[in-house]
Parts: sequence; C-alpha cells; structure tokens
Amino acid sequence: MIENFSVDHIDVYINGEKILDNLSFSVQPGEMLGIIGPNGAGKSTLLKVILGVIKPQNGTVEMTHSDTRPIVGYVPQSRAIDEEMPIQTWDFISLGLPHRIRPWLTKKDRILIKETMELTDTSRLAKKSIGKLSGGEKQRVFLAQALVRNPDVLLLDESTANLDPKAQEEITSLVQELCTEQHISTLFISHDIHLVAKYAHRVLYLTRGHYSVGRAQDIIENANMDVLYQPQHVHDALQTSVENRRYGG
Amino acid sequence: MLHYDFMQHAFIAGTIVAIMCGAIGVFVMARGLSFITHSFSHIGFSGASFATYVGWDPLEGLLLFTTVGALAIGRMGVKFFRREASISVMLSVFLGLGILFLSLSTQSGSFTSTILFGSVVGISSRDVWVIVVLTVVLLCLLTLGYKMLKFDSFDPVGAEAAGLPIRFISVAFLLLLSIGVAEAVQIVGALLVFALMTIPASTARHITQSVFKMIVVSAVLAVLGIWVGLTLSYMTNAPVSFYITAFEALCYFLALGWSSLKAKFQPIGT
Ligand SMILES: Nc1ncnc2c1ncn2[C@@H]1O[C@H](COP(=O)(O)OP(=O)(O)O)[C@@H](O)[C@H]1O
Ligand SMILES: [Mg+2]
Repeated sequence: MIENFSVDHIDVYINGEKILDNLSFSVQPGEMLGIIGPNGAGKSTLLKVILGVIKPQNGTVEMTHSDTRPIVGYVPQSRAIDEEMPIQTWDFISLGLPHRIRPWLTKKDRILIKETMELTDTSRLAKKSIGKLSGGEKQRVFLAQALVRNPDVLLLDESTANLDPKAQEEITSLVQELCTEQHISTLFISHDIHLVAKYAHRVLYLTRGHYSVGRAQDIIENANMDVLYQPQHVHDALQTSVENRRYGG
Repeated sequence: MLHYDFMQHAFIAGTIVAIMCGAIGVFVMARGLSFITHSFSHIGFSGASFATYVGWDPLEGLLLFTTVGALAIGRMGVKFFRREASISVMLSVFLGLGILFLSLSTQSGSFTSTILFGSVVGISSRDVWVIVVLTVVLLCLLTLGYKMLKFDSFDPVGAEAAGLPIRFISVAFLLLLSIGVAEAVQIVGALLVFALMTIPASTARHITQSVFKMIVVSAVLAVLGIWVGLTLSYMTNAPVSFYITAFEALCYFLALGWSSLKAKFQPIGT
C-alpha cells in the first residue's frame, strides 16, 4: 500500500511547448481518480511523468511506500501487437511479473498468474494467441498483465475506449473493486463522463494550461463541460455522481 | 563418413551453430529483424575479405565487422535500418567492399566461394573450439536475458511501460545477433545465414503457439537441416547449403499446409 502519492507543481515542456503547467494533486490509497479532458490536453503525458518515463522540468512526483519501492502497473493508450507472432495469453500476462533475469516461472508465479486470470475473467483465454483475441478480451489481458505484479499504483490510459458499454462497465467496476480491496491507487483516463462520474472517487479535469480537481459532481458542474460533452450527458452524469462521494473534497 | 576428422568437425560445429541460429531466429522474427540479419551477413562477408587482405583469420574479420555494424545500427536506431532503402544501400555497399578487399588480396577464388556459400571441409579443430565457446557464452547470455528479450520482442509497448531498459535490450540483442551471424557464416556462408536464422523460426511459428516451444522446435529444425545437409552433401558432392535450404523450405511449406488445413477443419465456434 502506498503511503503518500502526490504530484507537486510539475511543469512539462515537449519540444518547447508547455504541456503541463504547475499541476498539483494527491491521491489516497485505494482511491480512484478519473482524468478527463480534451485530446492533446496532456493526460497521457501526465501518466508518463508519474511512471518516470518523462521527466518534468519543474516539480516532483512523490510516491512513497510503507516498506518497499512502490510497484506501478500501467496500461498504455495504444499497443502494437504483432498478430502473426503467437504468444499465448498466459505467457503474455506472465511478462508483467516483476522479475527480470530468472528465465523460468516459480510455483508462486504460476499461482499469481492463475489468480490474476480468474480475477480479470481471462482464464478461458489462457492458451489462445493474443493476436487472435477481440478488442475487449485484449483489454482484459492488458489489465491482467499490469495487475499480475501486484501494483500499489495503477495507471490506465483510455483502457476501456473501443469497448461496448457493458464491457466498459464490467472492467471499470472490476478495477474499482480491486482498488478498494487491495488499496491500489488508480488513475484512469476516460472520455466517458458517465463512467467517470459513476466510478471515480474524485476527478481531475485537465485542459491546456488549466486544471481542476475535486469531487466528480463539483468538477462536472463547474468546469465548462459543454465544450466537450452534450449538455444532456453532463446532466445525466451529474445525477450519477451524486451517489459516489467517498473521497469527496 | 564420421571417421573423417573434417566431417566430425563439420557435424559438431554445424549442430552448435544450428541450435544457436534456431533459438535466436525466433527473436529475429518477433523483432522484425530478418533483413537486418541478412545485412549482417553481408557486412560479415566484407569483414572476412578484409581479414584475408590484411592477413587475419577470417572469423576475426567477421566478428569485427558485424559487431561494429551492430553497434552502429543500434546507435542510429533499428527503425531507420528496417527501411527498404537503407537495407539495399547497406547490402550493396558491403558486398562491394568485400569484392574490393578480395581483389586486393591474393586469395584464391575458393575462399570467396567458401565465405559466400559456406563450406564443410575447411573447419579446423581450433575453429570448432572457438565456435563452441562463443556459442555457449551466447546461449548463456540469451538465457539470462530471456525474460526481458521476450517481453520487448513480443510486447514492445508493454516492456517500455514496465520500465525495462529497452534501448539496452535492443543493442544487446543486435550484438548477440552479429556474433551469431559471424559464426554461422563460416558454416553456411554469408548468403544463406539468413535462411538458417529465419526459416526454422517461421516454421516453428506455424507448429506451436508457445514462445518456449517455438524456440525448441526452431532449434531442432535447424539442427536437422544441418545434419541432412551434411549427410546428403557428403554422399552427392552437391553444396551443403543447397540441401539445408531445401530441407528448411520443405519443412516450412509442410508446416504452412498443416496449419491451414487445421484452420479449415476446425469446428466452427472453437
Ligand atoms: N513524443 C512526443 N513528441 C512530440 N509531442 C508530443 C509527444 N508526446 C506528446 N506530445 C504532445 O503533447 C500534447 C499532449 O499529448 P497527450 O498527453 O498524449 O494528450 P492526451 O493524452 O491528453 O490526448 C499533444 O499536443 C502532443 O502532440
Ligand atoms: Mg492520451
């Protein structure tokens, strides 16, 4: 479990262009933070900064764990999988295990893989080649690969885009369950304002040069969402978010 | 035939090189490096020619040129060299260089054909030792790097996301590959290393779905190819590389046929 997870006053420039401007927020253990905002706002960039792939020019990302180094699970926005090269689903998931040098799997590894596959409902895909799975099945497998390392922090970059509404709900509610049970702090980017309102404990609304963070209800009510979404959707999402205020404020 | 020293040497060196080529080949295919492998063997050809020109052992020239080539390619990025144009430029330049060195040196034409098409008779017991030691080191490194290499080859985005040192993995693999190519050139020749590195792995891909089994199948097919090639070549005097490529190609088409048959007769819904 993560003790302290905060992003403090970070500035990020890419090719001289300011992408993130003095951004600060913190995330509680087991909290699900939804991230919304237009294309190009810097949402993916933010996750990469947290991951350590992009170094911010100013500011810091603080992530401290009670005893070890915090483990981060990350599902990137896009993935190039060669459909011709077969790698079986269980093997693909096993790649996410944290060991790097040992070429074989221990019994403990195998149990972990099996449990993760049951959790993400991918057991029946175990022997299938990853290239042959449907979009939704792949998303579950990607999630499983990120989860198999028992992360303290989970970063999901539009992981449920391209899925049918039912699958979106299933995966997101599964993630929420895991977060709460295993105290995983989760950041998930989504364009689905409904999903965010329903499952995120708090919301970060990010645009170029501005951001606001708070309860889903407040963000959706106060930020100028009509730029992004139809007024009716905003209204519906507001209704949903009222029931979900665990980490409010 | 095995009571001849040279045949023993050919069998030992050939088998070991085949295991290595088969194993590395799976990652060559997964990383889309088949034509870079082909370029390495051409770089190796000019290295070997250079070695004879300055009076070194051919393997030394081969190793020098291919490893420097690997570092250069790694430095500039594999993406650049995957482009068709870059590959054709590289192939021609190094083939040309090789021809230049050969014409400058006093070696006979038989050396040229050995390096281009491979040879089974010229392998000394010292060569065998060098090949064995190099291959064992190579396979150990491959075993240690297996997990990371597999991750980066089959799921590059995921590997980067998981924080693996992908740049290092890429360069390290190119280096291993370049050493492997240098070794194999001596047995099957510069023009056909490519065949031994890519065909068995492609065949394996149609036979099995698991990465580890693919490596095993690929290595076995490569070894069988060498054995069949050496035996038939001994009996008929035709070049060993011809039999090796013919055997590997036959296996490939059989596997292709088998996998499409299997797909056809698979009951719907499974
Ligand atoms: N590697 C990169 N090179 C150049 N520009 C980039 C790179 N990565 C991101 N950007 C730019 O940064 C901005 C934010 O991108 P991104 O974080 O992917 O946005 P979002 O995920 O919110 O849609 C975009 O304008 C994009 O063009
Ligand atoms: Mg993005």
